[in-house]
Amino acid sequence: MPSPKRPSRKRRPFFWLLEKEWRELLVSRAWWALLLAIGPLVGFSFIGAMRTYAELSGLNGGAAGVGEAMAPLIGVWGPTFSACELAAIFLLPFVAIRVMAGDRQSGALKLELQHNMPAIVRIAAKMLALLAGWLIAMLAPLIALALWKSYGGTLYPPELAVLMAGHLLNAGLSIALAAAASSLTEHPSTAAIVTLGVTVGAWILDFVAAVQGGWWEKAAGYTPSAVVAQFQHGLVQLDVTLIALLLIAFGAGVAAIWVRLGVPVRRRVFESLGLTFAMALAIFTCSFTTPSWDASENRANSFPEPDQRALRQIHRPLKIVVHLAQEDPRRVDLERNALSKLRRAMPEVQVQYVALTSTGLFEQTSPNYGEIWFELAGKRITDRAVTAEAILESIYSVAGLTPPQDKDDETFRGHPLAIAPKGAGAIFYFVWPFTVLVSGLLVRRRFV
Amino acid sequence: MHRSMQILEVRGLSKRFGSIAALTDVGFEVRAGEVLGLIGPNGAGKSTLFECLGGVLPGDNGEIRAGGRAIHGRERSSLMFYVPDGVAPWPEQSVRWALDFTIGFFGGRADMLSQVVEELDLGRLLRQRIGTLSKGQRKRAMLAIGLLSPQPALLIDEPFEGLDLRQSREIAAALRGHATQGRTLFLSIHQIADAARFCDRFVLLSGGRVRGEGTVQELAALAQARGASKNSGGLEEVFLALT
Repeated sequence: MPSPKRPSRKRRPFFWLLEKEWRELLVSRAWWALLLAIGPLVGFSFIGAMRTYAELSGLNGGAAGVGEAMAPLIGVWGPTFSACELAAIFLLPFVAIRVMAGDRQSGALKLELQHNMPAIVRIAAKMLALLAGWLIAMLAPLIALALWKSYGGTLYPPELAVLMAGHLLNAGLSIALAAAASSLTEHPSTAAIVTLGVTVGAWILDFVAAVQGGWWEKAAGYTPSAVVAQFQHGLVQLDVTLIALLLIAFGAGVAAIWVRLGVPVRRRVFESLGLTFAMALAIFTCSFTTPSWDASENRANSFPEPDQRALRQIHRPLKIVVHLAQEDPRRVDLERNALSKLRRAMPEVQVQYVALTSTGLFEQTSPNYGEIWFELAGKRITDRAVTAEAILESIYSVAGLTPPQDKDDETFRGHPLAIAPKGAGAIFYFVWPFTVLVSGLLVRRRFV
Repeated sequence: MHRSMQILEVRGLSKRFGSIAALTDVGFEVRAGEVLGLIGPNGAGKSTLFECLGGVLPGDNGEIRAGGRAIHGRERSSLMFYVPDGVAPWPEQSVRWALDFTIGFFGGRADMLSQVVEELDLGRLLRQRIGTLSKGQRKRAMLAIGLLSPQPALLIDEPFEGLDLRQSREIAAALRGHATQGRTLFLSIHQIADAARFCDRFVLLSGGRVRGEGTVQELAALAQARGASKNSGGLEEVFLALT
């Protein structure tokens, strides 16, 4: 008969709770299922991306030379880590709901809440355990990184750090959402529906933003998919990062308000409304912060440095009036290739879109449709081109500046790698699932 | 601690679920070191009362008092620990871990661990997962969690539910031992015979209202004062007369 031993370690209650949450995660089948799935998911994305990258780099006599313009961040790591985005949207919330709602289902909450520990600390312990669990799941893309390095690929640590930070933020958003949903609802299945409902709602917001523009577009810039997209391009925008962190704090706060059992519903509703108001104010304020950093090796989010320096010489407000409808592909190109970079280089630039319809199909005959007006110090230049080079040329012209020379020295040459991903399939489709299964069995035996 | 000293008092506690009044103007006192039985038929509001006292459910009105003043939140949870009925907390964890966690997280009584395990015959269950325990085994594990908690007063919902006669008697003796050592026990019991054998005083609850409070003799006198026959001296007869 095993004899009981006194718990010898003197620890603060928070660390007991943290250990408990960690153990609950380790024995959670949902987490092991996530681990099991993420390996093949990452493997499929990595192998597919590598094959394409290798072909563009000249493998099998393909279009050799094209790959010289390709950056690993866009060609390999963006697609590979997109598997993590899928897992964060469709798998992680269920793990989080299992951890968050499990205590309520089992009745453990009735015991644990009799401790004086603040509810937000309890939620923080759960979120920390879940984030640790997510970091373990991120071993799969880290293995892909190691494989890439073993194939002779080059790594640019700043952009990879930003990419992983973005996926960690995205996981934090998923966990916070699941935490709030679990606390607000009585049953895990309802929490799952609420969580997926919010996710689908964010997609609808993206869709509406693409059609309506304006404030919708601004709001859609802070959805989880938009956050991840920016980090996947090596871009860190302070407003996006701060707002993502605020949303995580908001989810944790709502969860802390509603996880308490002995508090009247009316009081919890008022507290939630107060928190919502405070967060809305904070988010609104943060949305005006402009600093950003381009961590990508190929400066995908910036103009060449000589152009950046030249643009910084323009001190008067520049106004750009774009006569393109919201769904016009040229407008998308203009935003992606030029205006997003211009806003980073010249935070004072004012962009105004003019269109009568959302598609622009029936405005083609309008005399001004398709024009882009550049106005500076009472001077106006009109153009129709939407490439970065043409936009810069127009700005230099309206500002009376000489375009910088010798840009070629700054050009990113790319890192072609014409090698097939040998062994990756075996690792991600066989070794990873086998290791996860064996680890799961051993860990459950160890902890139970 | 002197047994007649009041450890807490409940005044005017009410709780409604929509149009249903689960508790109405409930009031009684709990004395230090006593075994107080909360008895009442199914649906009387016993568990609701315990959940309100344990801070698991918010009461609509009323207050809990200790030391001559109303207490809330931190003070209340440092005074009493509530052991709910019908729960299987941390089902994937072992009994041993649950007891260690109770001691570590709640600041429980590590020095009593061996004693409690022995009293509740948990030695052979320590490595077993809580989710795999039978109803009676789970009840014993829950009682151990309660007994290891640091609070001076223990509220246990249906402590003998799921136990056989022998186990009920052994556990009653163990609980009595803890009460003798100064622990205050407030037990919700729907089997009146069990309650009569074990408790010092009683709170009779029916239809969400307190119908009487006191020892068997005091309750019998109350029943007679309300017109019951003089033969109603046992707790069961008193209960029937008062509810």
